[in-house]
Amino acid sequence: MRKKDSAERAAGQPATKVLKDGTTILVAPKPALKKEILRHKDVYLLLLIPFVYYIVFKYVPIFNAQIAFKDFRARDGVLGSAWIGFQNFTDFFSSFYFWELLRNTLMYSIGKILISLPVSIILAIAIYECTHYALRKTVQTLAYLPHFLSWVIMYGVLFALLSPSSGILNDIIKLFGGQPVDFLSSVKAFPWVVLLSDAWKEMGWSAIIFIAALMNIDVTLFEAAMVEGANSWQRVRYITFPSIKPVIVTVLLLKIGTILDAGFNQMYMLYSPQVYSVGDIIDTWVYRQGLLQFEFGLATAVGLFKGVIGMLLVVFSNKLVSKFSEGSSLF
Amino acid sequence: MKKLLSLMLIALIAMSAVFANGAAEKSSAVNEDGTVTIELWYGAAITEAGPIPDDWVGYDILREEHGIDLKLSVLPSNESDQDVRIQAAAAGNSLPDLFMVSRPVLTRLVDQGLVAPVDDYYALMPNRTAQQYDADSIAMSTIDGHSYGFASPGSVAKNEGLLIRKDWLDNLGLEVPTNLDELMEVMRAFTYDDPDGNGKNDTYGYGAYIESDATLKGYPGARLFPILGAFGVDGLWCLEEENLGLNVYKPEFYDAMVYIRQMCEEGVMDPNWLTYKKDDFRAAWKQGRFGIMKEQNAAYASESNYAPFDANFPDGEWIIIDPPEGPDGLASVGAYDQNYRIYAMSQDAADEGKAEKICELLEWMSSDEGYYLCGWGVEGVNYVLDENGIPVTGDLGDNSFSGPDGQVYTQLRNMVFYNSDVELASRYPTYTTAVSGKTMSALTALREMQSKYWTAAIGSGQMPTPNADVQRYYEQTLAEFLSGQRALTPENWQAFIDGFNRIGGAAWNEEGIAYAQANGLVR
Repeated sequence: MRKKDSAERAAGQPATKVLKDGTTILVAPKPALKKEILRHKDVYLLLLIPFVYYIVFKYVPIFNAQIAFKDFRARDGVLGSAWIGFQNFTDFFSSFYFWELLRNTLMYSIGKILISLPVSIILAIAIYECTHYALRKTVQTLAYLPHFLSWVIMYGVLFALLSPSSGILNDIIKLFGGQPVDFLSSVKAFPWVVLLSDAWKEMGWSAIIFIAALMNIDVTLFEAAMVEGANSWQRVRYITFPSIKPVIVTVLLLKIGTILDAGFNQMYMLYSPQVYSVGDIIDTWVYRQGLLQFEFGLATAVGLFKGVIGMLLVVFSNKLVSKFSEGSSLF
Repeated sequence: MKKLLSLMLIALIAMSAVFANGAAEKSSAVNEDGTVTIELWYGAAITEAGPIPDDWVGYDILREEHGIDLKLSVLPSNESDQDVRIQAAAAGNSLPDLFMVSRPVLTRLVDQGLVAPVDDYYALMPNRTAQQYDADSIAMSTIDGHSYGFASPGSVAKNEGLLIRKDWLDNLGLEVPTNLDELMEVMRAFTYDDPDGNGKNDTYGYGAYIESDATLKGYPGARLFPILGAFGVDGLWCLEEENLGLNVYKPEFYDAMVYIRQMCEEGVMDPNWLTYKKDDFRAAWKQGRFGIMKEQNAAYASESNYAPFDANFPDGEWIIIDPPEGPDGLASVGAYDQNYRIYAMSQDAADEGKAEKICELLEWMSSDEGYYLCGWGVEGVNYVLDENGIPVTGDLGDNSFSGPDGQVYTQLRNMVFYNSDVELASRYPTYTTAVSGKTMSALTALREMQSKYWTAAIGSGQMPTPNADVQRYYEQTLAEFLSGQRALTPENWQAFIDGFNRIGGAAWNEEGIAYAQANGLVR
């Protein structure tokens, strides 16, 4: 059946496709690539810059990933360094803190998905539903703003808020008779500082994609729902959510692909020895052990490990999504 | 289409192979105009100021009189960032011809064969060698019997002191503390007896931040050295023959930890000390948050640094005091090493025949012309000489060597300065504070700080460093003891030592002892 489809489409004839529910649909014939490029050359020209970027900065360096299996010596170069098999991977897996690093990394990655994703969806819907133009724009701008601040600046802001002796939050706690909390050096409080500060910093930026998806919803659906007597919550529940579900799934899948990236910049700025047990993640370990100790083979091995795990998770999650929600999967 | 994809794949592999070989073959050392290009990555003298402008007259002098086309690039101010930048360049086999590098990184680069030995080149720089390089500095850059860099004098040794707010002592009728018990009493009074008389409970006894490394300033770091020194355990390593090894193994280290933990428990230590960065700490003492600290002479007493404190507290006064004595009568401001800035020559530069020109550049820097030009700029434009021959700012305004427009021309001064009296007198002039009218001098403060008792730990900077897991275990566990996450009991301490040994601490200690013995660092 598939071979037949391909043959039909290649010949420029419309093909048919049977969906899981038994519906048969016509699929437009696939035009020749050269013709397609010539026809839309302006658009393809725009694509050239990111295409070159990805080739130079993402694909060419893949060749150098072989140093993950080598005792890399800069003088000998990537090709000249000696092969050592999986030694770099073994060093990483057998490092004293491996399981703790993995636990912390997953804790922050999953935690950020669980907190930041819903928060940005709620913010997007709130902004979309807001009818007061000035208020909507003000909230939108204020929510975007922290994204543009580096974690160095954010550290300063958090320190001013959370300092045990002079922080605003602790001043409030003391005002109500409580004991000040050293949020940045308490192992109990630190993970929450990381997760909530990330949600605060990134929610506005993350909401953009959802706002864009909301803008594409046919407004007649809302008008019809209002005529039928649906209230705001019902409109959100039965129109808004289902409409942006594919975008939510896409964002979720992309985040799963980088699940072993828990935010190096943030953690490097915020953590300190007293919270290493809950603050040290794979990337900070790689920085200390790989980059500062000139173990580039080890650092590359960890990067490769993260990439492979991320890719496997994306493929697996995508399969699940395509099984349970057709049309929402990435590929 | 298949043809296109095949071509793309071949191009990709070819590009990858080219990139994989690192930097392209370097061309001949001599340019078409007869000059030799020397790429120099330097540490900026004034990190908050910009790089040396393109109109710096030094470029023309070097090009026309020495045939050197100097290309300058400033390194990040943060030491870790410097290390990362150098090592990233090394990984791509694209190190510059001459670059500043820390000793631990130098050791790794030598191991990779990326740095040229320079033993034979000192003779090419007689003036500079006499001025800047002696046996100690050469030892600092010596690895496996060869010198792999030119180690110039760094910041002045013993340039920090223990300071106390004299006005607070006077307000509370207290004397300067001389031992740890008295120190604790004063810290309590500073914390709970409203020493500034503002009616608020907003002051602390001692202020600090974590300033540690893996060679000299072991955790909990240099800002607590006067406390650790009272127990004889200041510094990461003890280089005395009878106690050679990591200080953490000495029983007195536990006693020192108990004392610091008591400071935290009693609330006399500014609770921000574990999270303060250097700038936060410095802002805090200028805001009157604590009354005792260990601070660097210029950070305390130079005009620009003292001005905010002077404005906030015109009646405030810091004095430099002797470090407190511990239970066995020991006292020390801290452990000190000779500080050096190492400039290494890449093996590629040596292979290209640039070594002699690099030496010519360095020798010129230490000539009268280069020394004053790099150190202070152009006479009459950036500095004038006073009656004692000291370069001063005069009335040159913004163009003076300390003014916003002139200071950028002195970014290379750390490559020529060697802490001479002329340099120090010029750098730390006596001045009158703007608000309180006090007479201040960072040089006077320096001399007073240097007169106190310090623990010699010369050569600590050369000692081997641990791997990341050992260092994390060491720092994390000590931090947990001090913050109260882990009870500081003899049993738990022994468990920490046992764990430290298992993870690699014992091997690190043995490696350090062997290194110190083999390299004559034991006192």
